[in-house]
Amino acid sequence: MAKPSTSEAKTKKKAKKKGGKKSGPDAVSMKLKADKKPSPFESIWSRRKFDILGKKRKGEERRIGHARSVAIEKRKKTLLKEYKQSTKSSVFVDKRIGEQNDELGEFEKGIMRSQRERQSKLGKKSKFNLSDGEEDEFDDALGFGSLPEKEDFEDEMLSDDDYDDGGEGAKRSAILKQINSHGAQDSSEMGLLEGEDHKHKTKKEVMEEVILKSKYFKAQKAREKEENEQLMDDLDKNFTSLVQSQALLSLTEPGKMNEQPDSYDKLVNEMVLEMRARPSDRTKTPEEIAREERERLERLEEERQKRMLATDYSSDEDGENVEIDSAQRPRAISGEDLGDSFALDEEPRSKKGWVDEILERKDAEDSENEDEDASEDSESAEDTDEDEGSEEQDDEEREKTLSLKDWEQSDDDDIDTDLDEDEDEQEHDDAIGDKEEPKGHIKLKKSEIRKDGKSVDVKKPKSGVKHTSTESEMPYTIEAPRSLEEFSSLLDNLSNGNIIEIINRIRGYNAIKLSAENRKKMQVFYGVLLQYFAVVANKKPLNFELLNLLVKPLMEMSMEIPYFSAICARQRILRTRTQFCEAIKTQENGCWPTLKTLFLLRLWSMIFPGSDFRHAVMTPAILLMCEYLMRCPIKSGQDVATGSFLCSMVLMVTKQSRKFCPEAIMFLRTLLMAATDQKLASEEDCQFYHLMEMKALRPLLLINGSVDEINPLNFLTVMNMPDDSSFFSSNNFRASALVTVIETLRGFVEIYDGLNSFPEIFLPIATLLLKLSQQRHIPEALKVKFNDVAQLIKKKADDAHDLRRPLQMRKQKPVPIKLLNPKFEENFVKGRDYDPDRVRSEIKKLKKLLKREAKGAARELRKDNYFLYEAKQKDKELVEQERAANYGKAVAFLQEQQHAFNSGQLGKGRKRRR
Amino acid sequence: MVRPHGIKGKKRKTREEKYDREEVEEAKDTEAEVKESAKRVSIEKPTEEAQDKQEGEEDGVPDLVGIPIPRSDQNTKKPGVIFVLEKASLEVGKVGKSYQLLNSDDHANFLRKNNKNPADYRPDICHQALLAILDSPVNKAGRLQAVYIRTEKGVLIEVKPHVRLPRTFKRFSGIMLQLLQQHKITAVGKREKLLELIKNPVTNYLPVNSRKIGFSYSSEKLIKMRKYVDSVGDDEDLVFVLGAMAHGKIETDYIDDFIAISGYPLSAAMCIGRITEALADKWNIL
Repeated sequence: MAKPSTSEAKTKKKAKKKGGKKSGPDAVSMKLKADKKPSPFESIWSRRKFDILGKKRKGEERRIGHARSVAIEKRKKTLLKEYKQSTKSSVFVDKRIGEQNDELGEFEKGIMRSQRERQSKLGKKSKFNLSDGEEDEFDDALGFGSLPEKEDFEDEMLSDDDYDDGGEGAKRSAILKQINSHGAQDSSEMGLLEGEDHKHKTKKEVMEEVILKSKYFKAQKAREKEENEQLMDDLDKNFTSLVQSQALLSLTEPGKMNEQPDSYDKLVNEMVLEMRARPSDRTKTPEEIAREERERLERLEEERQKRMLATDYSSDEDGENVEIDSAQRPRAISGEDLGDSFALDEEPRSKKGWVDEILERKDAEDSENEDEDASEDSESAEDTDEDEGSEEQDDEEREKTLSLKDWEQSDDDDIDTDLDEDEDEQEHDDAIGDKEEPKGHIKLKKSEIRKDGKSVDVKKPKSGVKHTSTESEMPYTIEAPRSLEEFSSLLDNLSNGNIIEIINRIRGYNAIKLSAENRKKMQVFYGVLLQYFAVVANKKPLNFELLNLLVKPLMEMSMEIPYFSAICARQRILRTRTQFCEAIKTQENGCWPTLKTLFLLRLWSMIFPGSDFRHAVMTPAILLMCEYLMRCPIKSGQDVATGSFLCSMVLMVTKQSRKFCPEAIMFLRTLLMAATDQKLASEEDCQFYHLMEMKALRPLLLINGSVDEINPLNFLTVMNMPDDSSFFSSNNFRASALVTVIETLRGFVEIYDGLNSFPEIFLPIATLLLKLSQQRHIPEALKVKFNDVAQLIKKKADDAHDLRRPLQMRKQKPVPIKLLNPKFEENFVKGRDYDPDRVRSEIKKLKKLLKREAKGAARELRKDNYFLYEAKQKDKELVEQERAANYGKAVAFLQEQQHAFNSGQLGKGRKRRR
Repeated sequence: MVRPHGIKGKKRKTREEKYDREEVEEAKDTEAEVKESAKRVSIEKPTEEAQDKQEGEEDGVPDLVGIPIPRSDQNTKKPGVIFVLEKASLEVGKVGKSYQLLNSDDHANFLRKNNKNPADYRPDICHQALLAILDSPVNKAGRLQAVYIRTEKGVLIEVKPHVRLPRTFKRFSGIMLQLLQQHKITAVGKREKLLELIKNPVTNYLPVNSRKIGFSYSSEKLIKMRKYVDSVGDDEDLVFVLGAMAHGKIETDYIDDFIAISGYPLSAAMCIGRITEALADKWNIL
C-alpha cells in the first residue's frame, strides 16, 4: 500500500495548488479534512485490474470512499438546505460579498469585503468624515484590511494565521489578478494595496528604462555595422590576393590548363556529325500484303500481255485475239485497232472489269446456286446435263428448284449448323438426288468428262481469254472460276507445278482480305477446288503428285474460310454416307469406299483437328470410317488393304484424343483371325462378338507357304490392281498385309493403354497373336513382331490389372470438424464501433449514452432519496426522542404522584407517616 | 428484446452433425431431412441412397449405388484431449498511442525502456503451439475438447477447437489484442464465442476423470510418448500441460504426472506434434 499513500500526498498538494479553481464543496471538504482526521475509508483507492505496460496511470485512480463523502457533503449543502427550507415561509438571503460565488474561499471573501470597505471610505463623501481612531489602528494592526463592521466574525477568525505564508503569496496574487480583471479600482487603490517599490517604478523608472534600452540598441547596431564593414574589407583584400594566384586562373579558364580535349568532347563532336536515325517502315498489315501481291500479279499480267502482243504482232496471230475480244464485245475491236501499247496497257484491265461486271451481273442470281452446285458433286452437274438445251431456261429452273437450297445455305451461313437444319438439308438432298444417286457414283467420271467437253460451248465468255496462251505463259491475274468446267478449262494440259501456280495466282488475286465480295468468290472457288480434288482422286491413272500438291492450297483456304469448308465437308460426308447405305443393301458390288472417298477423308483429317471432343466434320468422318470398317464385308485382298488403310487413318485421327474406336480393333482382329487356320477360331471369341455381326471369313491372310520377302505395301498400287489379281492370293501380299495390321494394332495398343477395360479389349488379341506366331509358315520377322505386340499387350494389361482395386466398402472420407472464422479487426481500438452501418452505430452510441445518463440520473435520485430519508429519519428521531422524553417526564411525574398518593403524602400539609 | 438465435443455433447444431455438405441447399429441404435423419440408421433407406448418389456426384467420384458404407461410430463417447498452455506471454502494451500485443521483435526498445526483458515477450511461441494443436488430425477428427491458455499475467483464455486461427503472426497478434481488450472473439456471422477470457483457475474446466500430464525437459521421467499414451486407459480424458514461454518451467499444482518426451529441450510446437502424433496413432486417426 505504499503507492496509494504517496499518491494521496500528491493529490493533497494538487488540491492546494489549484484551490482557487476547486468547486465549493470540494474546498469545504478540504477544509474539513484539514481540521479533522481523515476517515480510514476515504484513504482506500480503487485499484486497476490489469496493469498495462506503457499506459500512464494519471487520471485512472479514484477514491470511492472519498467520493462518497464528498457527495454527501454536497447534498448537505444543497438538498438538506432545501429540505429545511421547504417548511419555511420566508427565506434568509445572504447578500454578503462573495457569498454567491462558490469558487472563493473564506479568506478571499474577507479580502474582497475589506476592499469594498476601503473603497467606500475613500469615496468623496467619506473623505471628510472623521475617522474613529480605533478603527484605523485596527486596520494597521491587521496589515491588510479586515472588515470594520462586525458582519462575519468567523471570517475574521479564519483569516488570522490558519495558513502559512508560503501558500499565501500565490493565492494573493491570484486574487489580485481577479480584482484587476474586474476593474473595480483605479491605480491609486492599487498603490494602496501594493508595496511602495511597485509604485515608484511605474512613472519615472519605466521611462528611464525605456530610454536606456533604446540607447543600448542603437549602440549595438552601430557596432554591428562597423564589424560588417571590416569584414567586407578583409574579403576584398583576400580576393585581390587570390586573383593573382594560379588556382583561380585554372578555374576561370579551363582551356588554358589542359590543352587536350578529353574523350567525351570528342564523342560529342563526332555525334554532331553523325546521321540521325530515321523511322523505319512499319510492318505491313495482312491486307496490305495481299494488296501488294495483287498489284504484283497485275503488273506481271500486264507485262505478259505486252509480250504476248508483241509476239502476236510478229506472228500474226491477231485473229485469235480478235476472236476472243469479239466474243466478248464487238466494240473492243476498235480499241484493239489503235494498236499502240499505251492503250493496251490499260485495256486488259478495263476489259477485265467489264467481264467481271457481266459475270457478276449474270451470276448474281445463281452464284449461290452455282457454288452449291460446285460444292456438291455430280448431281447438279447432271442436272445441267439434262437441261443443257437452253441455258436461260436452265438458269431459271435452277433458280426455282434451288431457291430452297439457297435459303437453307444462307441460313446455314448465318446460324450455327443446327442438327434439324442439317437433317432438313439432307432430306432435301435426298429428295433431289434420289433418282440419280444409285448410278451417280458410277456415272461420276463420265459426267465429269462430259462437262469438260461441254466447257467449250459454254455461252458465257468467262475467263477463256487467258488460257489461249501457251503453258509457260500463264495469266497472272485470274478471276476465281465459278464452276468446275471453268476451272478445268483453265487447267487444261498444264503440268502439276503450273496447276498449283495457277491456283496460287487465283488465290493471290482474289485474296479475301482485299474486298468483301472476294470471300464469296473464294468460297465458290474452294468448292470448285474440292471438286477438282475429288475428280483428280477418281482419275485413272492416278495423278498422285498433283493430289499431294493440291492439299496445300486446300488446307490454306480452309483456314481462311473455315466455316464454308466445314459445310462442304459435312455435305460430302452426308452424301457419301447415304450412298454407302444404298450400296450396302446390294451386297454384290463392293461397298468399300473408293479412292476418292479415302483421299477426301484423309484430306479432312489433315485439315480439321481430330482431337476435338465434338467436331462438325471430324466426328461424322470418324463415324463414317468406323461404319465402313464394321459393315463392309471383307471379300478380297483389296478389301483387306482398304480396311487396314482406314484403320491406320482412324489410328492417326484418334491418336491425340484417344477416342476409343472398337470397330477398328474388331476389324484388325478379324484380319488376324483370317490369318489363322480355320479350326483355331474357337468358340470363346464368340462371347466378345455376340453384339456384332460375325463376318464369315475365308482365310484370306492365311500364309500357307514360304514367304520370300516382306515389303511395305504401296496402297495405291494395291488399289489399282484388279480384284482378282493373283497378287492378293500370294503369300507375300499376305505377309505384308499382316505387317501393316500388326503395326496398326501396336499403335492402337499404345493409344488405348489408359483405358480401364484395356485387358478385356486386347488380351484376346494377344492370345490370338501368340497362336498366330506358332503357326507353321509364319516368317521369322512376323513372328517377332507378333510376339512383341503380344508382350506389349500383356505388359500393359498387367499394369491395368495392377491399377484395379478390389471391390470394397465404399470409402468414406473422414469429415473434419467444421471450422469457424473468428471475427476481428485489423487495427482494433478499444471502444470503437466496428459496425459497417454508420447510422446504426451512431444510434447505438446514442442509445448507450442515453442509457448511461438515465442510469446516472436514477442513481443520483436514489442517493438523494436515501439522503433525504436519513435526514427525515433524523428529524423523526429527534421528535421521537423529545416525545419520549416528555412522555417519560409525564410518566415520572405521574408515578411520583401516584407514589406520593400511595404513600399518603397527597396533602401538602401532611407529613409522611410510617 | 427476445432474440431468435437460441432456437436457430440448436437446430443448426443438430444439422451440422450429418449434413456438412448440404448447407448450400435450401433450409426447407434440410429441415425435412433432419427429421428423417433421426429415424434412419441403415443404408436401406431409399432417401439415403438418393442422397448418397447426390453426394457422390458432388464429389465428382462416380460412386456405385448399393455398395454399403461402413457404419460411422461418431455417436459413441470417446475420450478427448485438452491442452493447457501455461505461462504464455500474451501481453498488451500501450506503444505510442496504440495498444499492441508485445513481442520481442517490434517492441524491444519499448520493453527495455520499461525495464522488461524483451526475450520474455514471445507470443509467437503461443501462436505456433496453437497452430500445431488446431491443425492436428486429432483436432480434425473432433477429439480435441478445448485449449486453455494461461498467460504470464494470469489471464485464462479458452480456445474452442473449431476456431480457424489466423496463420500469420500479425493477424494472430491482432486477434489476441482484441481478445484481451474485448474479452471474447465471436465467429463471423454468428454469436458463438470462439475465444474467450474465463475465470481462473483452469481446474474448474478440466473434466473430472482426467489425467493431467505436464511436460518438462527437466523431468526425470523420460519416456516414449507412444508407450505412455498406450498405458492410459481408454475412458480417461487427457490433459496436457505445456509451457508456452521462452525460458523456465511450468509451476502448477494440479498436474498428476510430470514427464519428458525427449532428451532434448523441445519447442512447444514440436512437443505438441509428438503428442498429437502419438494420439492419432493410438486412436487410428489417419
